[in-house]
Amino acid sequence: MSLTPLLLLAPPILLAALAATGFFQTGPYPAVRKAVPWLAWLIGGISICAPGAYFMTGAQSFTLSAGSIELLHLRLDIVSASLVALVGFIGSIVLAYSGEYLEGEGRQGRFLAWLSLAMASVLMLVSSGHLLQLVIFWMATSLLLHRLLLFYPERPGARRAARKKFLFARAGDVFLIAGSAALWLHFGTGDIAAINEAARESEGAGGLVTSVAALMVAFAALLKSAQFPFHGWLTEVMETPTPVSALLHAGIINAGGFLLIRFADVMLLAPGVLALLVLVGGFTALFAGLVMLTQPAVKTSLAWSTISQMGFMVFQCGLALFPLALLHIVLHSLYKAHAFLNSGDAVRQVASIRRPGPIAVPGLKAVGAAFLSAIVIYGLTALALGLEGKSPQAIALGAILVFGVAYMLAQGLADRAPRKLGLYTAGYAVASTVAYFGLQSVVAYLAYPALPATPSPDGLEWALIALALFSFGLTAFAQATFPMWASHPAVRGLRVHLTNGFYVNAVWDRMLGGWRQPGRACG
Amino acid sequence: MPLKTDSSASVSGLIDQAARTVPPMWPLEATVAVNPFLGAHSRSLGTAAELFGSMTGQSLLMPAAWFEQQLETGEISDEDIVDAIAVIAPRSLSTPEQVREALASAGMRAPTRIPMVLDLAGQNAGVDFSAIMTDRVTAWAADYFDNGQALWQVRDRGPAWSSWKDFAANDLTPEILGFEAFCRFSSGLPEDAESFVGAALQELGLSAEASIPYLTQVLFNLGGWAQLGRYRLWQAELADRQDPVMRDLLAIGLAWEVFAFRAHESEIALNWKRACKKRENLEERAGDTVVLEVLQYALELAGQRKLSDLIAADAGQGETGEGRPAIQAAFCIDVRSEIFRRSLESVSSSVETLGFAGFFGLGIDHHAFASDISERRLPVLLNPGLQTFETSEKDLTEDQEKRFRLRAVRAWGRFKLAAVSSFAFVESAGPLYVPKLLQGALGLKGASSKSSPVPSLHPSVTLDARTDAAEAILKAMSLTSNFARLVLLCGHGASVVNNPHASALQCGACGGYSGEVNARLLAGLLNDSGVRSGLAARGILIPEDTYFAGGLHDTISDTVTIYDDQRRSSHAKDIETASYLLDVAAGLARAERAPSLPHSGKPAHLKKRGRSWSQTRPEWGLAGCSAFIAAPRNRTLGKDLAGRSFLHSYDWKSDKDFSVLELILTAPVVVASWISLQYYGSSVAPALFGAGNKLLHNVVGGIGVLEGNGGTLRAGLPLQSVSDGITLRHTPVRLSVCIEAPRDAIISILERHPDVKSLFDNHWLHLFAMDEAGALAHRYNGKGGWAEGFQADANGAAAEAAA
Repeated sequence: MSLTPLLLLAPPILLAALAATGFFQTGPYPAVRKAVPWLAWLIGGISICAPGAYFMTGAQSFTLSAGSIELLHLRLDIVSASLVALVGFIGSIVLAYSGEYLEGEGRQGRFLAWLSLAMASVLMLVSSGHLLQLVIFWMATSLLLHRLLLFYPERPGARRAARKKFLFARAGDVFLIAGSAALWLHFGTGDIAAINEAARESEGAGGLVTSVAALMVAFAALLKSAQFPFHGWLTEVMETPTPVSALLHAGIINAGGFLLIRFADVMLLAPGVLALLVLVGGFTALFAGLVMLTQPAVKTSLAWSTISQMGFMVFQCGLALFPLALLHIVLHSLYKAHAFLNSGDAVRQVASIRRPGPIAVPGLKAVGAAFLSAIVIYGLTALALGLEGKSPQAIALGAILVFGVAYMLAQGLADRAPRKLGLYTAGYAVASTVAYFGLQSVVAYLAYPALPATPSPDGLEWALIALALFSFGLTAFAQATFPMWASHPAVRGLRVHLTNGFYVNAVWDRMLGGWRQPGRACG
Repeated sequence: MPLKTDSSASVSGLIDQAARTVPPMWPLEATVAVNPFLGAHSRSLGTAAELFGSMTGQSLLMPAAWFEQQLETGEISDEDIVDAIAVIAPRSLSTPEQVREALASAGMRAPTRIPMVLDLAGQNAGVDFSAIMTDRVTAWAADYFDNGQALWQVRDRGPAWSSWKDFAANDLTPEILGFEAFCRFSSGLPEDAESFVGAALQELGLSAEASIPYLTQVLFNLGGWAQLGRYRLWQAELADRQDPVMRDLLAIGLAWEVFAFRAHESEIALNWKRACKKRENLEERAGDTVVLEVLQYALELAGQRKLSDLIAADAGQGETGEGRPAIQAAFCIDVRSEIFRRSLESVSSSVETLGFAGFFGLGIDHHAFASDISERRLPVLLNPGLQTFETSEKDLTEDQEKRFRLRAVRAWGRFKLAAVSSFAFVESAGPLYVPKLLQGALGLKGASSKSSPVPSLHPSVTLDARTDAAEAILKAMSLTSNFARLVLLCGHGASVVNNPHASALQCGACGGYSGEVNARLLAGLLNDSGVRSGLAARGILIPEDTYFAGGLHDTISDTVTIYDDQRRSSHAKDIETASYLLDVAAGLARAERAPSLPHSGKPAHLKKRGRSWSQTRPEWGLAGCSAFIAAPRNRTLGKDLAGRSFLHSYDWKSDKDFSVLELILTAPVVVASWISLQYYGSSVAPALFGAGNKLLHNVVGGIGVLEGNGGTLRAGLPLQSVSDGITLRHTPVRLSVCIEAPRDAIISILERHPDVKSLFDNHWLHLFAMDEAGALAHRYNGKGGWAEGFQADANGAAAEAAA
């Protein structure tokens, strides 16, 4: 037996051992907290070897059996290797953080235990090679998260959010179980790699069963990754210590995207489902991105940002750009984990924003020039790095880079901005464009042929791409010219609605009785 | 008698009175400790406790169980209780046994909050209306007070009342959650907030007596937002302006009450009448709190007795020689300096230390390098008198250059946070977060150690004005003769990361900033030859070979940085010696502090605490503060005061007209009382005057924190700042102010400052006049006279100290 299964199993086993110790250490300052940083480095160190093992041996499946009973199916491929490394790295940093952060908290041992178990469960989920195992750890992750969200069960806000989350998660479980059952029946195996292979060999000829299965999987993913209209709970789970938010936003929330990428070949058999993902993901990305702009509390703003980024990732999956979606998951998680763990820095950051003087407001001309320059930078970089092998979807998606970079450039090109500032922002713009292209090329190279190639778009997909680019572009333009129209009374009203996320959450609260309290009228 | 609302003067008077009961809250960017009982200083702790209890349901005294523990462990003796009874409750209690019995009896329950309309209506409907109101007010206020967190800021904010009306008319959340037609209701409210308050009081049927407690309760119900409003009012009044924000906040709170009243009047009418009756009879309520108040006082007596014995023990042992010290080092009066001063003095007998407010008498409005922000580095009670800058004429270009870099970084930050562009950000800059995460996890990210440029006064300040300032400051420091060769002026600061409450650990006298700027300015001022000759003409002779240098004491690691700004080659050796002594002293101070901090391990690891992003207790700040001593250092030299005393150098014999004494009683003492009472409030009533659990903090608007997802803004100190999770690290006691000065001089100053006197009269502070031996011999009796304090029991105390 090679060392690879051990590589995948050692971190969860160590975490389980940590959890077992943590549960029994009651009271503040449990001794186990001192061991946590060392254990965390060990777990992180092992986990980040997973991609190395994958590159050395290629994709592999392992089965652990006791006699004739198969206990575990582990899968090592580009998806699991990168996610094991990601979750192991971020998780161990979160764990080490919690060892110190929760000092003095009466139930620190218990917290560390639940946190380790949740992390172990995510690791097992992403390395699952079998449907049954996938479903089990999918549900386990969610239930463990529920315990973490209710770390302070006496807080009404915590209960309100956890309850919503619980209901959505159970609905997601039902969809995943149904989808898995359909896949198992249709393909005659529970081995996920085999299912994907069979799906790829069917050359796009998916039947009704695969479409339904894909739809079920998509629903499970949408519910898991807090897509509109099931996003509200995610903006409310700051009722539990910061490390939980970090692990949730950088680890657990990715399960939805992971599911779509894991079943990429199956998803490709159902273009209608992909179109649905494009619509829901694209809408969520824009909607949550706009709400994020209005949020005055740092963690809330980060939560809306996650919803938006998850929307974008789902959107990428819908466009069948699975390698990019995987890249997005990894990069977003790194950013978001840091952003949460470091969120106490917000006071200093807000103060430092105002230090160098007022922001130069770009006029229409500057915004136009910025968009043009961004296109030029994009074009030149594309020419320099080459476009061969890029799908039309990926090229179209490059437009978001143009929009983003243009927003930055516009600030440097504003009439009142000094030339030096323009130069600096241009430097940032070029650097980010090159990095963007470079990263995409690397991941495209690495993911081929493990993840399916993006098929050429059909009419519906072209229409969706056009719609997406139009709305993204419009948003970016509106945002860049924002000071010109922000004082209009209608906009003030719109801002109030946006701050509240268009009340979707309030409606859920009302339906689920989130603000109820024991009273005389309560039967 | 129903309130007459036709006279608007009376309504505005009611509003004003309610507003002034709310303590202000300084934004976290530069926060300072605030006395949460600022608006209640004309009451005693006991009556304030009843008032606040009736409004909020929170007790202002430690629970009975805690006092039982203090009795069991002998922290409070029977003697203390007897003495406390004599002061607090001579009529209702007589013996310690009575107190113990009362403590054990069932009378010691939590105060009950008089319900507001929202509470009653919510109970009636089975929905937590009050929580919904808080949630919605926070949704509005977080936007309104946002200092730059949201990329899309509310524009044209206007007065709070019209801003809120605008928000409420659009916000559909209350409607969805069961406040039917709330939008229509709020858009129909009158434009004039004051007339609305008047009309609301009438509609709710409040009598004149009930109005003030009720309005105060409405404000307290808004939590930190009302305190932030009170801060705005404070700032406006300092600048001789008016700010109607408290009136507006009050109207906002009342709007919810009136709405709920109209919607549920028939069901709650009877209970509401009862609640209003209770408000009328507030003053007559039976005092459950008397026993606790007695015990609180007794606990403070016990501490004072120990302090008096400690100081008076071996009186005179610390007499320093009359010769010229090699080094004088002035530190902030902050209790954290006490440990360091004692360590430094123990390292070398040629070092003399002084204590003075850490802004060193320079009330400055400071502009850092490449920054537009005006930093008010002075006690918040005062207006800045001097403009200071870090950018001099010759580095204007460098200043500009740095601004461009900072602005480009800002543009990058907006790229990160804006819609659409944030996707591009993640997909291009994501990998940068691997090193950032590692940096955080390994604690490699420290506050920038690069020393900032030398600050300077605005050139328009004339030599005369500089000399005036220098003279006043030296006199106030009691430092007018016998200057050492090297005089260090050490401010203090705490270098911490990822801590929303970082500014609470900085120097309070510098307005929540670290103290090096003021220290360096004063050093520069006193090294100026023009100023020196001016001082000489006024009788303060600073020897030619005396050199002043600024310094910064880092209260996390106890390292002291010396700013040798004027670079005198003649003093290079002195600076070197001083650095060495400070290093050795730092080691001693760390060794003393380390055991008190959880999981600190080796003293050398203290520095790491400040750099750790997951550390919620980088240091204990001023926790434990219990005394303020203004006397020559000789009185306390070599006495282990355990980092619990503010030490102000003061020699009354050289204070001819007692103007320095007056300054001490009206400025540093008041600031110290704010600190002491903030710790008191955050310890005894964390839900009311504390910032809650750090693990849940969600920074809002760059100004404050929410605990978790919502609720109100939380002012005060977090739980982790006063408790280690097992016991309170700050024993909640009111500050004992001990002054060595003639008693009648003290009294005549108090007579001139009724606000200060009221703090002593109502026991928010204790006042002692020390005798020559340093014993707290005379206790201020709270009525303008003196009572017997503690006598020096030289032999006994000495024996105790030796043991």
